[in-house]
Parts: sequence; C-alpha cells; structure tokens
Amino acid sequence: MIYNSCFDIIGPIMVGPSSSHTAGVVSIGKFAYDLLGGVPDYAHITFYDSFAETYRGHGTDKAILGGLLGMDTDDPGIRYAFDLAQDEKMNVTFQMENQCSYFDHPNTLMVEVRRKGKRLEIGGASLGGGLSKIFYMNEHRLDLLLNTEIDMEWIKETYLSESR
Amino acid sequence: MEFSSMEELLQQCHEKNWGIGELMLEWEASKTGRSQKDIFEKMKERLLRMKDAIETGIEDKSTAPSGISGGDAYLLQQYKEKGNYLTGSITVDAMKYAFATSETNARMGVIVATPTAGSAGILPGCIFALRDNTDIPFDELVMGLFTASAIGYVIANRAFISGAAGGCQAEVGSATAMAAAAIVEMNGGSPKQSVQAAAMGLKSLLGLVCDPVAGLVEVPCIKRNVIGTSIAFTAAEMALAGIQSRIPCDEVIGAMYDIGKSMPRTLKETALGGLAATPTGEELKQKIMGKPCLRNVN
Repeated sequence: MIYNSCFDIIGPIMVGPSSSHTAGVVSIGKFAYDLLGGVPDYAHITFYDSFAETYRGHGTDKAILGGLLGMDTDDPGIRYAFDLAQDEKMNVTFQMENQCSYFDHPNTLMVEVRRKGKRLEIGGASLGGGLSKIFYMNEHRLDLLLNTEIDMEWIKETYLSESR
Repeated sequence: MEFSSMEELLQQCHEKNWGIGELMLEWEASKTGRSQKDIFEKMKERLLRMKDAIETGIEDKSTAPSGISGGDAYLLQQYKEKGNYLTGSITVDAMKYAFATSETNARMGVIVATPTAGSAGILPGCIFALRDNTDIPFDELVMGLFTASAIGYVIANRAFISGAAGGCQAEVGSATAMAAAAIVEMNGGSPKQSVQAAAMGLKSLLGLVCDPVAGLVEVPCIKRNVIGTSIAFTAAEMALAGIQSRIPCDEVIGAMYDIGKSMPRTLKETALGGLAATPTGEELKQKIMGKPCLRNVN
C-alpha cells in the first residue's frame, strides 16, 4: 500500500500541468533541499525515460529546480525556477538518459547536489498522483516514500555521514 | 479497518453501516490520530482550491503557453448561456468546469490532483455541476471527495493512476471511476451502487492510451477530462437505476492493470505514439519545441 492517505488521492494542491512530471518532482527536489539545509550551489540532474522524453512540456526541469530552491508543490514561483536558480547562482546542468539502472520506473531522475562542501546524490521516482520515493542516496539503495513521516535527522546520520 | 479491495471496502461499510465517504474519513482519522474535524477541514480546503481553479479557468480566454489549448471553457460558457444545449444543464456544467480546471492546469495554474493533474478536471467538474444543479449541501460535496478518495485509494494500490505507468485508462479511467462513485453517494445511492458505478466508469475507458501531443497535458487530455464527466454521470445513472457491472469492480481494476502492463512504452506518456505521432501531432511538436524534444540539452 504505497498510497496511504485520502490526501494522496485528492491532492496534492499543485501548479500544473502534471502530478507525476511536475509535483512529484518538486517533492524530490524539496527533499534534497531539506537534507542540504538550503539551496545547493551546484546541481547535476539526470532525467530518464518518460522524464527525458517529455520534460519540457511538463516543466519537469522547472519542477526539480523549484524543489531544490525550497518550493512546495503549489508555489507559483515554480514557473520562474530557472531565473530564480540563476539569481541564487546555482550551477545547473541537465543530462538525458534512456533508462535508470537503479530503479525500473519510467519517471526516474538522479540528482547530484553540492552545498558548502556537502555532496548529496539521490535517485527519486515519481510514482503517480504526486507521490514520490527516494530509491538511492549516496551509494546506498533505500526505499523511502515521501508521503510518510520522515525523520530527517535519522536520514542525515544514516546516509550522509560519509559525505561530510 | 484497513481495506485493499472494493470487496473489503464494501464489507467494512456493511459492518459499520456507513457510507464510503464516512468510512474513509474515519479510516484517515484512526490512521493518523487526527480528529475527523481536522481531516474534514483539510479536505474542504481542497474543494475550495478546486473552486478557485474553476473560477480562474472560466474567466481566462487566453491560450496556454504552448498555443494548443485554452479558451474552450469560455466558449462552452457562452454556449450554455444561449440555452440551446442538447443534453442537460448538469452535463454541460460538468463539461464547462472540467474544461476550466484542465485549462488552468495547462497554464501552470494551481489545481488539485484528483488523482492526478492530467485527470484533475473530472471530479471537480462533476461536483460543481451538482452544486449548481441540485440542493446538495456544500459539506456533502466535501464528503463526496472522501468517497472518491476511497475508490482512488483502492485503484492506486492495486493498479496505477498515472499515464506513464498504465496509460490514460489509469489516469482518466481512475478519475472517472472516482467521480462516478462520488456522484452516486452524494445522490443517496448505497456503497454497493457506488462501487458498481466505479466499475462501469472504469470499464468504459479500459485500453485508453496516453498519447499527449508534444508531451503536454493538453491534447487530447483536456477533452478526455471533459468527456470523462459524461461517462461518470452515465455510469452513476446506471448504478442508481440498479444496473450492475457483470464484471466485479476488483476484476475490472485487475484488467486495467494487465492492460497497462502490456501497453507499449510509446503509448505511455512518452509522446512517441498515438495522437502524438500523427502528422499534425508531430507538426505541433516541432512548432512548440523548436526541435524534437529528445536527448541532450547540453
């Protein structure tokens, strides 16, 4: 049961146009932002499969940047994410690939971010309806649904130690 | 009080003598430890945000940034005002509101995913058409969202709700099933009738592929939302008349899953097949993207 609330189905409240290609991606970016404790100064983003094919139309690129800038899914600023990332002097690169070798799902991405000497590499999949999971973090595989209560301190201690 | 199938959902409703919406509200409360009142208010906020999306969409005559959608909610509004429509006020209102929501979505406006953004027009379309054409109180409309969420919850956990995973049948199909069940319950139908409506709604959309032109949630997504409202009302009418799906709802969901799994990748939101791959679809894609939207941007 990966969907576990009525609000996973009726929601999220979000800027369009796609819950899996926009909102779910914002959440993955926001997760990285929360872990880093702020806006990264470097971000290398890899889109796979459906994300790679259709990211422009869905604003998937704006969505990941919006999340990395700390925005929530209903933040109207998402559409200006490129300009805002530039204002923050975030060094951003994108890469498109066919299939992700870590996780078999059409809506997957990997993002490598750095901030103040901290480096974080996470893999996220957007499962539909705005629900996302993290399947990879700094050389570790994991299975973390973003619609559950997440103990960020525990995550930091368990997965981020070697990158400090 | 966990449930993972429509059968179990109906069993729970039967044992407690509750409607589906009531059961879902209590389930959420017991699961999260929050009060029913809090959860109800949170859902009510979603209904209000849907209302905002509709109002924004009806007023806005502009086209989406892509140039391939927008302004149709306004056209339908004009058409309704003339009064010569063929079906009925409730159908035309549902169409109008579905257009308004989906057009707002295409403009990167704020909407509520129900269950997804690509299918966000159907449930609000049906609910606000009921608001305008019946005397169902606003709080009952909120309860309709709980009913819809229970149906979506079962479908999402047994199959899928995204076009990329299972085609449009998973997206517009789920939303239509959810809306059909909610319409039934808001109009006094039994939980069993609600589930029958969900089955009939979903059956009508089995096999539908996800083939958006240029990968945008516009063509044909918006009109599929609009038409989904009519299917939802038709399924609800049948269920309220006592008509049953010959295939049980859980098996319909199973069929949807199997079909989605065997659907080729080109027809699952990759914009590589179906309408996206027609001469006009390709032409629009070239025009919008400037170049085929493939591979390295760097």
